[in-house]
Amino acid sequence: MQIDINNLSFAYGHKLVLDKLSLTLNPGSFLVIRGKNGTGKSTLIKCLLGINLVKNGMIFFDHNDVNNFKGWTTVGYVSQVIDEFNYEFPLTVNELLSITKLRKVKENRKLKLLDQMGILEILNENIGSLSGGQLQRVFIVKSILNHPSLLILDEPTASIDKNNVEYFYETVNQLHSEGTTIILITHDEYLDCYNYSHVLQMNPDLSYAFRKRTATEEKEAE
Amino acid sequence: MFLSFFSDLIEQEFMLRALISGLILGVIAPLIGSIVVIRRLSFIADTLGHFSLVGISVSLFLSVTVPGTLSVILSENPLYFGITLSVLGGLLIEFFRRYYKNYKEISMVIVMSMGTALSAIFLSVSGKTGTLYNYMFGSILTISWDSVIMIGIAAILVFFLFAFFGRQIISVSFDENNAKFLGVNRGLFQIIFIIMLSLVVSVMLESAGVLLISSMMIIPIAASMKIGWSYRSTTAIAIVFSELSVIIGLWASYSIHLPSGAAIVSVNVIILVLVALIRRVVLKRNIAKHPTEPME
Repeated sequence: MQIDINNLSFAYGHKLVLDKLSLTLNPGSFLVIRGKNGTGKSTLIKCLLGINLVKNGMIFFDHNDVNNFKGWTTVGYVSQVIDEFNYEFPLTVNELLSITKLRKVKENRKLKLLDQMGILEILNENIGSLSGGQLQRVFIVKSILNHPSLLILDEPTASIDKNNVEYFYETVNQLHSEGTTIILITHDEYLDCYNYSHVLQMNPDLSYAFRKRTATEEKEAE
Repeated sequence: MFLSFFSDLIEQEFMLRALISGLILGVIAPLIGSIVVIRRLSFIADTLGHFSLVGISVSLFLSVTVPGTLSVILSENPLYFGITLSVLGGLLIEFFRRYYKNYKEISMVIVMSMGTALSAIFLSVSGKTGTLYNYMFGSILTISWDSVIMIGIAAILVFFLFAFFGRQIISVSFDENNAKFLGVNRGLFQIIFIIMLSLVVSVMLESAGVLLISSMMIIPIAASMKIGWSYRSTTAIAIVFSELSVIIGLWASYSIHLPSGAAIVSVNVIILVLVALIRRVVLKRNIAKHPTEPME
């Protein structure tokens, strides 16, 4: 999916958080968003997802304005925290994954993804009994089940312990190689694990730098 | 005592009507109730019950003011107005929920007080306050065939909705913020659900009573969600609890002349308490057997 952002500004009340941000991502790009807390990373993502409302003409998905965009079912999204999800009512991982998709989930893909993320054994467990990291991985599987053409991830590794992060970036890299456009907010310590193509550096003074991945970065990663 | 109850169930027509409507409600109340609980809307059912009473009282009021056959229809079938007003109440709640975005619960208080006030006024001017008791606490034994048919129609609609849109309903209820990514229009979903809920609430009015409708929807789920291991099992267990309480409640209503709604809900509450106690005992025993494993 192609993404165009044109002079995007956004304010919470009088506090400006995003100031005239512009960038273009071609289909299949992998954008990593970096920056300290409070630089507007999550705000940008919320604008992209239509959670923060923006004026017409600022964000386009495949040349469609975000405010009139109809293809949300092809967008996968995992938020930083998933505490708004209802945990007390019994629901198994399998039920969560099968009630989620409108199109019939191919059973094999579901099992394969769970296995890839190292959580196949919890298929029939109640989501209320899972650890934060397990739950986060379940939500990641949920967001990519349907082969999204755009996947947006807001620090998805935040609650996953270090031993299991590997499962995650391997899966993301694989999706990228299959042509999914990816936008990811991540901590710098994991940066080298991803095959990203672009970097957006966001700064506390609202300035930003958008660039392609450099050759040095690629070397370092190797 | 039990034997004559069961033979009367089949032989007496009024008992058969009570049984059929009770058994149908025993399935659809917890089914809708599960979604109501997941979406944390338990009080909405209560509010809708109060508001559908406005329809009943308006119908009774009109039956003493308009002449001829219309009067008979209105007085014998106040449920038609009850259903209409319940749906209207649902839409009003939705309107106020959007009006007071950050204080959504205000909407229920407004609609509930409006409902209570209007029904008190219309009942009082119609002079038929005597029927109020039945609608407050339910009287499943006096239910008419017309009402049984309406309960049947409501059940068919609920089954239809769950059969075709069950996945969407459940997934959006669990995770409303992500409705968009599932291709579901959240506003439309909300309206359809509230209309459906209004319909079920209003057809439950005669058998469960205004004050007890929401408990018939919620308590079986409240009990089963403590022992269920999945959405399916939880709902299935709730339906079993619900049917059990309908049959025992019906017996209590018939044999010891308790108001039916009150009897059914009381059985529901007893089941809830039993479930909690048994669960506690089982957990304790498990801990005694496996002292190293953490509780739950």
